[in-house]
Amino acid sequence: MIGVGPDGPLGPVEEERGAGAPWRRWEPARAHAATRAGEHSGGRPAWAAGSLADERFAWVVLATVEGVGDRTLAALCTTHGSARRALRLAARNRLPARVHDERGGTRALPAGVRAGIARAAADPGARLRELGDGGIWTLTLLDPDYPARLLGIPDPPAVLFGTGAARALRTRAAVAVVGTRRPTPAARVAAARCAAELCHAGVAVISGLAVGIDGAAHAAALEAGGTTVAVIGSGHRRPGPRAHRGLVQRIVATGGAVVGELPPAAHATHGTYPRRNRIISGLADAVIVIEAPLRSGALITAGLALEHGRPLWVQAGQPHQPASAGCRVLLEETEARPYEGVEKVLAALPLANRSRDAATARPATTGFEAGLALGGEERRLATIIRRGPVTSDDLAMLTGIAPGELAGLLTLLELRGLVRVLGPLLLPAGPLLVGSAPSVTQP
Amino acid sequence: MLATLLTAVIDGLEGALVRVEVDVASGLPICHIVGLPDASLSEARERVRSAIRNSGFEYPARRITVNLAPAGRRKHGAAYDVAIAVGILVASGQIRTSGEPCALLGELSLGGAIQPVAGVLPMVATLARSGVRRVGVPTANLVEASLVAGIEVMPLAGLDDAARAIAGPRGRRAAAAARAPTVAVSGSPGVQAQQSMTLVEPGSCVDLSEVRGQSTARWALEVALVGGHSLLLVGPPGAGKTLLASAIPGLLPPLSDSEALEVAVVRSVAGLLDPSARCWRERPFRAPHHTSSYAALVGGGPRLAPGEVSLAHHGVLFLDELAEFDRDVLEALRQPLEEGSVVVGRAQGSVRFPAHVQLVAAMNPCRCGYLGDPDRPCRCPPGDPERYVRRISGPVLDRLDLRVEMPRVRPAALLLDPRPESSAGVAARVAEARLVGAERNGGRSNAWLSGPEVQRLCGLDGRARGRLTEIAEVRGLSARGVHRLLRVARSVADLAGRAVVDEPAILAAADLRDPAVEAEPGLAA
Repeated sequence: MIGVGPDGPLGPVEEERGAGAPWRRWEPARAHAATRAGEHSGGRPAWAAGSLADERFAWVVLATVEGVGDRTLAALCTTHGSARRALRLAARNRLPARVHDERGGTRALPAGVRAGIARAAADPGARLRELGDGGIWTLTLLDPDYPARLLGIPDPPAVLFGTGAARALRTRAAVAVVGTRRPTPAARVAAARCAAELCHAGVAVISGLAVGIDGAAHAAALEAGGTTVAVIGSGHRRPGPRAHRGLVQRIVATGGAVVGELPPAAHATHGTYPRRNRIISGLADAVIVIEAPLRSGALITAGLALEHGRPLWVQAGQPHQPASAGCRVLLEETEARPYEGVEKVLAALPLANRSRDAATARPATTGFEAGLALGGEERRLATIIRRGPVTSDDLAMLTGIAPGELAGLLTLLELRGLVRVLGPLLLPAGPLLVGSAPSVTQP
Repeated sequence: MLATLLTAVIDGLEGALVRVEVDVASGLPICHIVGLPDASLSEARERVRSAIRNSGFEYPARRITVNLAPAGRRKHGAAYDVAIAVGILVASGQIRTSGEPCALLGELSLGGAIQPVAGVLPMVATLARSGVRRVGVPTANLVEASLVAGIEVMPLAGLDDAARAIAGPRGRRAAAAARAPTVAVSGSPGVQAQQSMTLVEPGSCVDLSEVRGQSTARWALEVALVGGHSLLLVGPPGAGKTLLASAIPGLLPPLSDSEALEVAVVRSVAGLLDPSARCWRERPFRAPHHTSSYAALVGGGPRLAPGEVSLAHHGVLFLDELAEFDRDVLEALRQPLEEGSVVVGRAQGSVRFPAHVQLVAAMNPCRCGYLGDPDRPCRCPPGDPERYVRRISGPVLDRLDLRVEMPRVRPAALLLDPRPESSAGVAARVAEARLVGAERNGGRSNAWLSGPEVQRLCGLDGRARGRLTEIAEVRGLSARGVHRLLRVARSVADLAGRAVVDEPAILAAADLRDPAVEAEPGLAA
């Protein structure tokens, strides 16, 4: 929430933007003002008198060109004064081959990018129609409803492409839940529990749509009826892994959003995921790392969160377990705080009292059996399953129930949505995920 | 001089009558075998010459022509050796024949001893059907040959025995003295219900008390054995999948008379019938390796031999490391699993082998084996576990009734678990439940009931019906899936000794996963 006034991003925010990014030399607001004043019109008032909407349009069109990222867009705007002018030149095939770079010199635009800009400029309307047909909306730094939290990071994406509900990016509070793509089942449950409890407290869950922890967090948030935002590192035509296509549809259908900075047709490459991680951290008020081995992408997100000044919460995991070695490094070597449940995370969030009350009044505090009418043995089983992943053999040993009878009881719990099956493991689900510990301290 | 003897050839699982005609005429000393013999049969020449010489007879230095009629049928193997040798002896006037039609089966060693051959049981049955009254078989094949009623069986140890057997009553008496008593059973082929043959020797099979932990998998195995349901065991390496499956032979009830005969025929053709017939009623348990070829598993090859799926007829076919099997080989199992028999086609015609098997398969959950381990993360690249499971095609998975997940056994369970129940108790329970089911189902196991039948035989009450509907809706079951669930529930109820399928049975059966239903996408690795 750094540097955002009531006027939105076009207000007095320039001074607080991070240093060292292209934006230092090129401020969208300033560029916009310059365009309005005709400073850079070069004696061509016919298009210099364009509106802010025209400039925004030009940004979006340029951003749909493969190879035009924030850096190129900034270079084009500083070189030609505005995106509209660059687009206009490209339409007449007169876009110069060189642009100013951030160091005050010039650099050549790659031929492919130039050709791409020329193609986009030839029929800019088609680009917007394509986006519209794909159900994709855009948010640019020129828009007053650009997510305020994201403006607080040094290099917010100039154009965000999204599907679903854009308002999911502007919830009162949002927390990122991230971790490894190969979690232990216990960490999967921890991520799901964390996401479910955040949602019950009215906090949006941000994650990266990857398999593993990310997927568990998104799925649990959906199940808890909360808002979740998936930040993808590819274009919207191929959002995330194939296994999560259904998850994407559910996120979009339930008022969540899927956002990314790459044009719809873009493929994910080596560098896109680490770049995407800054958006995850940027969209969130705090970041929780559930499980990360050494060299996990989640550690990049964690590092960015510290850079962005976001509170970082890290679950310690089992000692000596390589699956959470990265987490231990974070806890030992950075100012990350140990994650032991959402209560402390929520307490540190800028939540209004109303939602904090909502958090404390979660149904979970009254016990998971509420309204479920569980039988005695079912309750016994549910209590054990709730603590973490167990196998039915574990349950048989702990309770002494015969396997034939146990199988029936487990089916009942599954039908009630309390248990989810992952291979031999029974994972807590639904109401069993919430309210594991005493809830948030009363204000 | 011309001599005619009878013998038989195996075609699929059926025998066919073959006449051996031997002509010894003047001419250059040479022996011709005609009548579509294969290489192993052409070599009979050499065996017969040495065997005749070494048995104290004289190999005639004349022109010998052996014809195997019908001439149009291909013949293979060494079962004709004895008939050819005796034919030569008769045709050269060295021994006399009583003139009665007599069949001889057996392979000769160079010393004149008679070796056992494969397929004696169906061959003797065919000979009996064709009206042959007497047959000489190798001593080692005596027991299986004696299973056929209506034909006199003589054991042959050497060529001189064979000579005596066809010479006349005196020789026959001598032969009879060496033979085990047989009991004639009406019908042909008949089966002797001899008590001595009902022995089932568990042999080297694993006892269930060696399987620690895995209470769910043990129960699932019981249910599967009660109903004859095909079972897929999924678990990491070392979970005990193979151990559990190896205990199956000790849990299966003995074969009935008619089943035992069908099994014996297949075993006989494959040359696998135990000479003492001790395992006569033992249910087959076959565990072919995952590198097995198509022909080895399904049947076929140049001689149209039965494959593993037929050798497991009325028993269990255990496929360890299911995902490692060749895709085509697994696809070929679809027909036998559906129909209970397999048809191997050739240009010359097709052969139907019985293949009424219960399939038990085991596989790892993923390539690294740790998907779903409580403590260790799976090391497979994202998406790889799904690919690994997809190596088994949907139609094959669809033919597996139950999927049981076997977790890695925790050290505590390994050390603290009191000694688990042994095979004997489980086997008794399974046998009793199977008996109840067979009586109700008209001899069939629950897995082979049709959809309408199982609905009728379950006797669902309102509560059970409601629960079934709920499960079908939540899981999105197809009609086939509902019937499968009902069949399993029927077995669960049988095992629990309940006459109707009630709500607990439906719920318990639903916990045994349907392998065809995909896992939730949100839980992808």
